[in-house]
Amino acid sequence: MNMKNKHARLIAPLSTLAVGTTIAVAVRIGHRWSDAIATEVVVVLFAVGYYLLTGTKSDIGAIYGQREDERQRHVVMKASRFAMIVMFGVTFVIALIMVAANKTYWQEDVIASVGGVSYFLALLANGAHDEDATGDDRGIMATDSVTGVDQKNNVRPPM
Amino acid sequence: MKNEVREYRRIRELSQADLAEGLGVSRQTIIAIENGRYSPSLPLAFRIAHYFEVPVETMFDPSEEAEA
Repeated sequence: MNMKNKHARLIAPLSTLAVGTTIAVAVRIGHRWSDAIATEVVVVLFAVGYYLLTGTKSDIGAIYGQREDERQRHVVMKASRFAMIVMFGVTFVIALIMVAANKTYWQEDVIASVGGVSYFLALLANGAHDEDATGDDRGIMATDSVTGVDQKNNVRPPM
Repeated sequence: MKNEVREYRRIRELSQADLAEGLGVSRQTIIAIENGRYSPSLPLAFRIAHYFEVPVETMFDPSEEAEA
């Protein structure tokens, strides 16, 4: 792993830590120290979790570790689209409840949470998994039917 | 889209990880391409063909659906 990848892996956890610490500071201003410390502990756990996740060789690890390839970017797009649809759906349902209950509250936290969870689940669903791996052997020599093709016989290792 | 990536990789005695590294993509992407679950972009398709030194139409056959 080169230095660029090493730093890229830190982006998600450090961003989580920065945003989370800001929230913890806000909690301290409006509440007690114990609440702020509890918030910060959760934030640190999330950041550590992110860091560990970015170290895995899964699609999610590559995506959160900022080293995704074109297929993984496609997975991100599909997951974002799914999360957006879910968030619109939840927003619609909450709006219906609001109108029916004649209340004016707006559950942003519910919408954001459902959107975030949907995104993560969509990443899991659309990503490739290691159990899909087949034929990762160190090269089974070609069968006669394969080597029978002239172009394939001419294949040479890249320089 | 049917492709010959697995066959050429085996002829070269390369692992999926070796090929992934050579092409600058993840191993999961090689798995997905070989299994026909992902059709690579045009630039990646050409990179794969160049890597194995064959024409792109030899490596990929758009007229056939891959066996999943």
